[in-house]
Amino acid sequence: MYFKKNFNKSFNILLLRILIIFVFILVSFFIIIPLLPLFLKSFSDNKNNFIGLENFINYIQNPSLTQSFINSLKVAITTTFFSVLIGFIYAYALTRTRLPLKKFFNTFSLFSLYIPPLAVAIGLIYIFGKQGLITQGFFGTIPGFDINLYGFNGIIIGEIFYCFPQALIILVSALNLSDQRLYEAAESLKASPLRKFLTITLPNIKYGLMNSIFICFILSFTDFGVPKVVGGNFNVLATDIYKQVVGQQNFAMGATISIYLLVPSILAFLIDKNFQKNEASLISGKSIPFKPRKNLIVDSIMFIFCSLILILVIGVFSSIVLASLIKIWPYDISLSLQNFRFSNVAGNGYEPYFNTVFMSIYTAIFGTIFVFFTAYLVEKFKPLKKIRMLIYFFSTLPIAIPGLVLGLSYILFFNKPSFSVPFLDFQIFNPFSLLYGTMGILVLANIIHFFTVCFISATTTLKQIDKEFEEVSESLKVPFYKTFLRITIPLSLPTILEIGSYYFVNSMITVSAIIFLYPAKIPVSSVSIVNMDDAGDTASAAAMSTLIVLTSLFVRLIYEFTSRNVSKKSSVWINPLET
Amino acid sequence: MIKKEGSFKYLEIKNISKNFGETFVLKNIHLDVFKGEFLCLLGPSGCGKTTLLRIISGLERQTNGDIVQDGLLISNSPTEKRDFGIVFQSYALFPNLNAKQNIAYGLENKKINKKEIEKRTNNLLRLVGLEKYSDQFPSQLSGGQQQRVALARAMALSPGLLLLDEPLSALDAQVRSKLRNEIKLIQKKLNLTTIMVTHDQTEALSMADRVVVMERGHIAQIGTPFELYENPITPFVADFIGKMNLLKGKYDKKNCVFYYLNNRFLISQNTEYSFLENCLLGIRPEDIEIIKFRKNIEKEENILRVKIKEITYLGTIFRLTVVLESKLEENIFVDVISNQVISNNLKIGDFIDIKLKKEKIKLFESNL
Repeated sequence: MYFKKNFNKSFNILLLRILIIFVFILVSFFIIIPLLPLFLKSFSDNKNNFIGLENFINYIQNPSLTQSFINSLKVAITTTFFSVLIGFIYAYALTRTRLPLKKFFNTFSLFSLYIPPLAVAIGLIYIFGKQGLITQGFFGTIPGFDINLYGFNGIIIGEIFYCFPQALIILVSALNLSDQRLYEAAESLKASPLRKFLTITLPNIKYGLMNSIFICFILSFTDFGVPKVVGGNFNVLATDIYKQVVGQQNFAMGATISIYLLVPSILAFLIDKNFQKNEASLISGKSIPFKPRKNLIVDSIMFIFCSLILILVIGVFSSIVLASLIKIWPYDISLSLQNFRFSNVAGNGYEPYFNTVFMSIYTAIFGTIFVFFTAYLVEKFKPLKKIRMLIYFFSTLPIAIPGLVLGLSYILFFNKPSFSVPFLDFQIFNPFSLLYGTMGILVLANIIHFFTVCFISATTTLKQIDKEFEEVSESLKVPFYKTFLRITIPLSLPTILEIGSYYFVNSMITVSAIIFLYPAKIPVSSVSIVNMDDAGDTASAAAMSTLIVLTSLFVRLIYEFTSRNVSKKSSVWINPLET
Repeated sequence: MIKKEGSFKYLEIKNISKNFGETFVLKNIHLDVFKGEFLCLLGPSGCGKTTLLRIISGLERQTNGDIVQDGLLISNSPTEKRDFGIVFQSYALFPNLNAKQNIAYGLENKKINKKEIEKRTNNLLRLVGLEKYSDQFPSQLSGGQQQRVALARAMALSPGLLLLDEPLSALDAQVRSKLRNEIKLIQKKLNLTTIMVTHDQTEALSMADRVVVMERGHIAQIGTPFELYENPITPFVADFIGKMNLLKGKYDKKNCVFYYLNNRFLISQNTEYSFLENCLLGIRPEDIEIIKFRKNIEKEENILRVKIKEITYLGTIFRLTVVLESKLEENIFVDVISNQVISNNLKIGDFIDIKLKKEKIKLFESNL
C-alpha cells in the first residue's frame, strides 16, 4: 500500500483558527456582551432587585417621558427627509450635471463632517439665537428675524447639518456607479428624461438611497449634542438618558430609556440589512461611466442650490470661529484670544484638549489595526465559516447602537470587577474591568462606536483584492501572514489611511459615547464643551470647538498629503490590469 | 487505458466525488496521470473540471475519494504541504511586486541564500523569455508576458506537478497560439507532469498528450486527441470535439443498415454495435461528399438528395447547411473545399446529392 504520510493539521490553519476565535471573543466582549448588563438593568431597580417590566410601565405612564419618544421620532423623520433630499440633489449635481466649480463644491460639501454636532449647535446660537447675527439683524444694522431656534427648529437645522454630509457620501458613490450605455439605449428608444430617471437612475441607486435613509434616521434619532445645546424645553430620548444618569443618578431608568432608543435603531438596522441583502450590481465591469451633457438651466439651478448649502455650512463654521475670537458677544465685539485660555472654566485649561488629541491618536492606531485585521480574517479565509459570519454580523451592529447606549452599557459592564454566574454561587474575574477609569475605555468605546463604517470600508477593499493571491501563496508554501504583510497591506494602504483619519476625526468630535465614561482625572474636550455651554460660557465652548475643528482639518490635510504620495508611489501597480 | 512505455502513474485520482449540499459537482472520478504527461481536462462550463483541479491542489476538499501523488496519499493534506505549482486564469500576479519579485516570492520563503534565489529567478526568467522585463510591474506587462511570469512563478519551487486553470483564455487569438507552443515546449523540456483545464477543444487537442472530456460531473471519455476525434464513444464527445451531424433513426443489426426517415444507409460490417433499434447515426461534415454531377447515382450507396439552406465561408472550406425536403428543420452540415463550391457554382436553394462515407459512419446509443 501507499506510504501514508502523517500530516498533522497544518500549523497555519491552526493559527488561523485560533486568530479567528480570538477576534470572535473580542468582538463579542466589546459589542454584544456589554449590552446584557444594560438589559438586566432595565429590568431592575437601582438596588439591583429584579422588578420585571416595571421600569417600562413607569416610562409609558410618564407623559413627559413618552413625549420625548414622540419628539425623537419627529426629529428623526423630519431630519431624514430633508437630509436625504438635500443630499440627493447635491450628489446629483456633483455626479450627473456639468456643475461649475465641481471640485470646490465636492471638497467643501464634506466640511461639516469635521464640525462636532455640538459645535454646529453653538454656531447656530450665534446666528439664530437670542443675540444671533440674523435674529438681531447683524448687530442691529438691518431688521432682525427670529426663527425660534431653541426647540424643534434648532434641533432640525443642527441635525441636517450633521446628517447631510453622511447622506451625501453614500449617494455620491451610488450615483457614480452609472452606465452611459443604459442612458444611450434609453435615448435611442426615445425615453423622456423623467422616464430615464425613473427606470434607470432610481433603480440603480435604490440601495444607496435606502442606506442613506437608514444612516440619517439613526444618527438624528440618537444624537445627543445638538438637542443638548439648542433643544431648550424640547426633550428627546438622548437628553432624557443624560438627565436620568448624570442628573439623577437613576441608572435603571437610564437603561430603560436606552432600550427605547436602541429598539427603533436596531429595527431600522434590520430593515436596511434585509433590503441590502438583495443587492445585485446592475452595473457590469464593462460599463462606461456616465458623462453629463451641458444643460444651462439645470446647471445654473444646481449651482445656486449648492452655493446656498455651502454658504450655510461655511456661515456656521465662521460664526463659531468668530464667536471664539470676540471678547463679549454682542457688547464688546473687539477681537481677542482670551476665550482660548480656558482658565476660568472648571480650571482644566488645555488638559481636555490634549487628552482628546491623544485619545484620538490611540483610537486611530488601535482601531485601524483591529478593524482591518478583523475584516481580513472574515473576508479572506475559509475555516470556521459560521464564526466568521457571526463576527461579520457583530461588526455591522455598532452602527445601530447609539453612542449614549454604548457608553452606558460600557459603564455597567466594565465597572464590574467580577461576574456572578446565574443560579450558581460562583464569581468570575472580569479582566476588562482593568480598563475602567483609564484612557483605554474611552479609546475602546470610540473604536466600537465607529467600527461599522470602518469595517465595511475595509471589507470592500479586501473584496477587491484577488482572492487567488492567498491561494497562490499557499501553493508557493508561503504562510498567510507573510502575504498579509507583503501584499495585502501595501495594496490596502489607501483604505487603511482613510480608516485611520476617519477614526481620528470622529474621536475628536464625538461626545455621546464618552460622556458617561470619561474618568474625572481625564477630562475630554467635547465634554468640556457641554459643561462650558451648560455654565453659560458659550464663547469658551466656541473656542474649544474651533480648536477641535482646526485639529481635525489639520489631520485631514496630513491624510490628503500622505495618501496622495502613496497613490503616486503605487500608481505603477494600481493601473487596471489588462485582461 | 493507454500506458506509455517507461512511464509510471504519477498521480492517481480514485473515486473522487464532490457535492455542495444536494448538488453533485463531481461523481466517482477515476483518473491516472503518468509521469511527464500533459493532460487536459476539457468540457463545457459547469462540468466540474475546475473543481477537480482545485481538489488536486487541495484548495477545495473532496467529499469522497482519494488522491495519491508520487506514491503518497495526499487526500487530506493541506495545500501548502502538496507538491504542485498553479497558474490561474486571472494569473493572480501580485501587483505591487515586479516580475522578478513575483517569481522569487515562493523561493524567498525557503531557506535558500540570496545568490541561489537570484540565480534561479534569472534562469526562470530566461526560460520564459522575459530577461528584459524583470523590473516591470504586472500592469506594465502585456497579457502574454503576465501569463509567462505566472508560469515561471508556478515553476519556481520545481514542483512535481503543474496545474493550469484556463491559462490562455484571457489572451487574444494570436498570442494564445504562440503561448500554446511555448508552454508545450517548456513542459516537454522539463518533463513536467501537467494538468490543464480548458473549455477550448482546439487548445486541448493541440497541447495535450491525453484529453479527459468531462460532462456534468463525470468523465465522458479519456484518450489521445486522435482517438477522441476518430472514435468518440458518446454523441456528446463527438459533437464537443469537432463537429458531428447526428441523425436519429433505427438500426437493423442483422443487415447492417440504418434507417433514417425513408432513407437507408449501409454501415461498415466490421463494426459491432451491441445496441438495437433506436440509435443515432453520426458523421462529421468533412466525411460527406457532394456528388452533383456524377452519373449512375442509383448504383451508389448512402446518397441523400438535399437542398442548400445556407453557405458559410470559412477560408479553405465552405460549410454548407443542407436539409431534406421531408425534414426541413433538421440541419445537416457538409464541409466542402472552397474550389468545389466555386467551380460548381453552388447557390442557396440548389438541390444536390450528398454521400455519407460508409466507413466514417458511427452509431451511438440514443438516450433521447
